[in-house]
Amino acid sequence: MRRLIGIPALVVALLLSAPGCKRKQQKVEVIETEEAAQDLASMIHVADPRASLQLVKGFHDVEQNAWRWTMQKFSVTLRPPAGAAEKGATLRLKLAVPDAVIGRLKTLTLAASVGETPLEGVTLVKAGEQIYSREVPASALKADAVTVDFALDKCLPPGDVDRRELGVVVTSVGFEAK
Amino acid sequence: MKRAARAAWWVLPAVFCLALYRFGLKAWFQQDDFAWLGLSLHVHNWRDLASALFEPKAQGTIRPLSERAFFLGFYSLFGLNALPFRIAAFATQIANLVLAGSIAHRLTGSRGAGFLAPVLWTANGALALAMSWTSAYNQILCAFFLLLSFRLLIEHIETGRRSYWTWQWITFLAGFGALEINVVYPALAAAYALCRARPYFRKTLWLFVPSVAFAAAHWHYAPKPTAGRYAMHFDASMLSTLWRYWEMALGPSRMTLARIEPPVWLAAAATALLTLLLLGFAVQRIRRGELLGAFLPAWFVLVIAPVLPLRDHVSDYYLTSPLAGLAMLGAWALIRAWKLSWYWRATAVVGVAVYLASSLPVARAITRWNFERSREVRNLVLGLARVRELHRGKVVLLTGVSADLFWAGIHDKPYRLLGMTDVHLAPGAEKNIEASGETGAPGEFVLPEAFALRALEERRAVVYSAAGPRLRNVTNAYLTVARVRWSKTEEPRRVDVGDPLYAGQLGPGWHRLEGRHRWMGKRATVRLGGPRSPAEKLHLAGFCPVSHLVGGPIRLTVAVDGRRLGTFTVTKRNEEFAFAVPIPPEIAGAPVVEVALEVDRTVRPAGDVRELGLVFGVVAIR
Repeated sequence: MRRLIGIPALVVALLLSAPGCKRKQQKVEVIETEEAAQDLASMIHVADPRASLQLVKGFHDVEQNAWRWTMQKFSVTLRPPAGAAEKGATLRLKLAVPDAVIGRLKTLTLAASVGETPLEGVTLVKAGEQIYSREVPASALKADAVTVDFALDKCLPPGDVDRRELGVVVTSVGFEAK
Repeated sequence: MKRAARAAWWVLPAVFCLALYRFGLKAWFQQDDFAWLGLSLHVHNWRDLASALFEPKAQGTIRPLSERAFFLGFYSLFGLNALPFRIAAFATQIANLVLAGSIAHRLTGSRGAGFLAPVLWTANGALALAMSWTSAYNQILCAFFLLLSFRLLIEHIETGRRSYWTWQWITFLAGFGALEINVVYPALAAAYALCRARPYFRKTLWLFVPSVAFAAAHWHYAPKPTAGRYAMHFDASMLSTLWRYWEMALGPSRMTLARIEPPVWLAAAATALLTLLLLGFAVQRIRRGELLGAFLPAWFVLVIAPVLPLRDHVSDYYLTSPLAGLAMLGAWALIRAWKLSWYWRATAVVGVAVYLASSLPVARAITRWNFERSREVRNLVLGLARVRELHRGKVVLLTGVSADLFWAGIHDKPYRLLGMTDVHLAPGAEKNIEASGETGAPGEFVLPEAFALRALEERRAVVYSAAGPRLRNVTNAYLTVARVRWSKTEEPRRVDVGDPLYAGQLGPGWHRLEGRHRWMGKRATVRLGGPRSPAEKLHLAGFCPVSHLVGGPIRLTVAVDGRRLGTFTVTKRNEEFAFAVPIPPEIAGAPVVEVALEVDRTVRPAGDVRELGLVFGVVAIR
């Protein structure tokens, strides 16, 4: 039983050290950071950690290291490719419509705009992988970076199966030079 | 018993525990850990230490040993090295296993049961959180005090020596420093005396005195949430909550946590089978006059009872201590079955197989998940330590922060422990993080766009992405994005008066910055972005020292753009105050508003020439 005295003794010893030690900054181990300069990309894979800063809004976390669910509205910021300010570029969104979505919503209409320039939308009626591709005029690509906004007319609201708002599954998005 | 067998009897449960929860030993800090580690930042003298140890904190808890002293003491010795904290947790749990084995041996008279009880307890997936998260150490330490007190009671009853009774009192009283559910110990002791040692029953009733006093004091002083997860419901829902804990304790209903998805009927059937075997055995023992069959299930019910009113906060770590009773019952049942016919042996093997098959994967999965989550937090926090070395004095903006990383590694501001205060979410980084109703909103961590852009243009800020395994400097790329996305002129809707970044938003009437706060004089103003909708309110948060309330409460009058919104009375001494004030609907949409704060009286402390009103704090519209 005498050994039990050691427990309160240890507690008291630890406490006695608390006010005395706190003033000096604890020496902390550090983890190196990546400092290499990074430019904006024209085409991004949404699962790439480097692309995350270009995902403005409307994307859920990466799944299976390959894709992300979107919400009803989602946006990315992209660097226009070389020469786009003169010749324009092609916007390509690689997406998949899961069976669960098309089964519940029947059809989905996807609209997009580059800055203030609206692009022609598309109606998605089948499940599976698809590519949304539209020509973007040079006038919309004059800046160093542009924001592309996408909007679906419907989505799966948060519910019992998934507590997130779900739109479509996206793997990549970006501009291709002409 | 041979020496090797005796050694194995003691050592194997501990080895099993280390093997099953080894990732918990390597886990780093996360979530509430940083709040407890941060206690040390407020300790400057002995009075602060007393306050840090005994002042009620989250949900009114006072756990001086398992949380306050544990974190303060270990942090002062080991800093942000998590290993000593984890070793302490494992060492305590191993002591628990020894105690559980010893108690099971004494109660059942079987060394086999004494060996199996800690093994069955360890295998339960409900222990995983306590074994992999340092803030759940309170559960382990509480189990230690409960088991040790009970073990001393048995020793006292068996030997009649008074010293055991005295030590039992000491460990019982110490248990109040670990966790509130220590109040149930007298019920355990009394129930045991009723079942096995009637002459001691009246003596055990004295143990209720401190428990009742503690419960009354806690009820009186601790805040009682009436809504949200911690609201208490003393109604029939307690029975359904008990059933939920029973299901969790047996295991099959939780297999989905290990990504094993048996059909619902199969999990229900497995739960029913284990219930039938355990309770059937208990009833059979009672019918044969062995009241231990009633005591061990009662252990489970009595120890889980204090958390049954928390209908909306069912958490597996609350099962840590209650499970010890069930594990002893299970071990006893196994040993008894083994002495019967092959039929009962086969039944016992099936029962154990179902239990282990459903519990072990869950224990592993939860421990692994916590470990990996904590390592992500480690990469973030120790990466920030490197950022501090590289960019001392600069504002740090974080992007690419997942919801999980935010709640586990940013919300409790671990960077304060590195001496960093200017760490914020980059504007927009909060959009993928869901708000948590009771713990705050990620928006409070975001630096307003105009501020962030200005700081970036002036090279006073750096941006790091937390999206990968290591922090990545994305300042240059982000500046390009920021110029496109962020408004250069929008006024912030949240002003932290104690943050020098917001000094430009402050009008006349404020005194100099002191640490992370600022005193107002009799009247002070703040410039804010106006409300976006009529539903938004003006939120004020500040502090009033006890010395200011000696002359009675202080009345604070609030006006927006010259319109008086009301007068509010500050009565809380040495506590934060917070008011949410409706704003006239006609102000909605205004790009900028001026908030005027005025107190009815000020105080001039001895030796200070300033007239001091109240301490702020945050002024925000949301």
